[in-house]
Amino acid sequence: MRVEGLRKKAGGRQILRGISFEVPSGATLGIIGASGSGKTTLLRCLNGLERIDDGFIECGEVRLEAGLSEEEYRRRAKLLRRRVGLVFQHLHLFPHLTVMENIVEAPIHVLGMKREEAERAARELLEEVELQGLADRYPESLSGGEQQRVAIVRALIMRPNVLLFDEPTSALDPRRSASVRALLRRFVAQGHTMIIVSHAIRFLEDLADQLLYMESGEVIEYDRATELLQDPKDSRTRDFLRQAI
Amino acid sequence: MSGELSGRRALVLFLCIAFSVAGCAQEERVLRWGADPSGGAPYVFTDPAHPDRYIGYEKEMVEALAARMGRRAVMVATDWEGIVPALERGEFDIIVNGLEPTADRAARILFSKPYYVFQLQLTVRRDERVINSLEDCRNRLVGTLGNTAASRLLAQKGIRFRSYAEPGTAYRDLELGRVDAVLMDVPMEIYYARGNPRLRPAGPPFYRGVYVIGLRKGDEALKAEVDAAIEAIMRDGTLERILRKWDLWDDAQAELQAAVKRGEEPRYEMTAATFNWTDALARLARAALITVLLAFGAMFIALSLGLSLAVGQSKGPSWLQAVCTVYIEFFRGTPVLVQLLFLYFGLPQIGIALPGWLTALVGLGLNYAAYESQVYRAAFEAVPRGQWEAAYSLGMGPALAFRRIILPQAFRIALPPVTNDFVSLFKDTSVAYAISVWELATAYRELANATGEFLLLGAIVSAFYLAMSLPLAHIARRLERRQQRRQALQALVVEAAT
Repeated sequence: MRVEGLRKKAGGRQILRGISFEVPSGATLGIIGASGSGKTTLLRCLNGLERIDDGFIECGEVRLEAGLSEEEYRRRAKLLRRRVGLVFQHLHLFPHLTVMENIVEAPIHVLGMKREEAERAARELLEEVELQGLADRYPESLSGGEQQRVAIVRALIMRPNVLLFDEPTSALDPRRSASVRALLRRFVAQGHTMIIVSHAIRFLEDLADQLLYMESGEVIEYDRATELLQDPKDSRTRDFLRQAI
Repeated sequence: MSGELSGRRALVLFLCIAFSVAGCAQEERVLRWGADPSGGAPYVFTDPAHPDRYIGYEKEMVEALAARMGRRAVMVATDWEGIVPALERGEFDIIVNGLEPTADRAARILFSKPYYVFQLQLTVRRDERVINSLEDCRNRLVGTLGNTAASRLLAQKGIRFRSYAEPGTAYRDLELGRVDAVLMDVPMEIYYARGNPRLRPAGPPFYRGVYVIGLRKGDEALKAEVDAAIEAIMRDGTLERILRKWDLWDDAQAELQAAVKRGEEPRYEMTAATFNWTDALARLARAALITVLLAFGAMFIALSLGLSLAVGQSKGPSWLQAVCTVYIEFFRGTPVLVQLLFLYFGLPQIGIALPGWLTALVGLGLNYAAYESQVYRAAFEAVPRGQWEAAYSLGMGPALAFRRIILPQAFRIALPPVTNDFVSLFKDTSVAYAISVWELATAYRELANATGEFLLLGAIVSAFYLAMSLPLAHIARRLERRQQRRQALQALVVEAAT
């Protein structure tokens, strides 16, 4: 996934001021920054939920760029979403559907998968995240950690090229947070391409290959993870890291 | 000096005027008579040429009677079906409205001498092939006025009939095929059907009954006065002149008047309402069934049309939004009664003649659709935006997201208010009375008017309504409580997540 010169204005405020980065296939990018730095807006742009004002997002042969007609933008955003899955910070599970139905809804109705096939795939994934017993439960009866794993499976079953996570640990206690990290590390090992937004640097420490530090909608520093953590070039990055750790 | 005199003169003059006015008021006695002028031709009805006054042969007759009695006739417009209770309440002194003496009425009020002999006439459409007499009407539907000799005769013969409040409506429904025949007193048939090229009489007039004047029990003195006046206007030919003028004179009248003139007490048979409780309860149960049918049918229309309206109003192109808004404001801003009358009487003018029950079902459905659309709209807005985004993010388009994700959740949110609306729709089915649909409210009015059992039948009808609406209200409350619990739980989850 390649992003070039991304700008986004909302409510009269410049939220993103020219963001660029490139995540090679199989790599993991961690985006860090304080609240209000534009991290979440950036993720929403990458999933086509927000219209960008300048620059482009490229994923495979899909290219979402500023200046397209409304209709064309929507068409390409839809194509982009087929390649890019998003796990929301607040998960947004469908409360009227069971865990299984939450997961197979899109494969069946968007990809046209057969129900048995979709359910088989869902069961495999649920087993992988250790939720096999909860397929028939409703989201409201699950714990926060279980809900999150359902949301991950729901995104994963669409076989996206890139998986986006918005603050995956914000709802979890340290123990649960560690188990999510273990899960994401497994994904790294399996070769998934991921972009993870977080303000918890520890969480990203040996998960992300690259780190991108944002402040007020700008990229302050973008480097290999080890470089950025051990030898930050910019004083603002240093300040942030000092406060965060 | 002269000024003082003129002042005294003025005072005397003033006192004279004052006393004479008071004297007049005491002197002039009035005869307040009650009648239903709506669709009341030729008895008493609004003069088409002068809509501010009433005309009719009975009006002329009452004026002649009042003149004989040294009184001034004052008409009190009332409702035919409630005319006896209105007399009992003292809203007027006598009923002059083509009133037939019946056994049940005799138990409550006094009757004068008869003043007119009426017959019944069966009317059919001009192209009718099967019906030539009342006997041919078995298994057909006959229209008539409620609580009349005609309706009692039909009930007695076990012929299915529909009661109307006005003769004009009954004949119009006959033309439109909503009933198969109409049975009515000859005077009404002359006025409302005789000149209509699409209708024809089926067989000759039959049956003989009389019209009398009704008085309160205990008003024997007034009854004597009225009887004397009736005899007088028969003897001097005034009544004959009036009846001839209205084309109502026939041999039957001649016989009646001849007997009176000979000093004989005219004899007449008194019909009795064939009323028994088993029959009444069966009719009430049928009315309850129709009420349920109306409520469910109307709600089905309201829910499906309301959904389209809600979607059209919030998501459609601007012209569709405008159309939906106009629809919603129109149906919410005008009374459902007026809408029903419009559908029932207005639509046939452009060639759409629906039967009464279907009109009520569609009319209530169209009306409630406007309300349900707003319930849906509120429910759509109550589904969090994140649900749309989650659906989009999984690659769904707006239509799929709406159908699979938003609609089911909105429906759950809408369920308690929709159930509440259903309870009120249930009660609103009673407006179908206005278009003669035999539902519970109509059944109550007709049975109660025929028997005078307003209290007992009222209690039974209320019990029917409650038996149906209480469980619904209970379900609505339970759904509401469940909803509140669910919302509280969700709030807790979101709180924990932030």
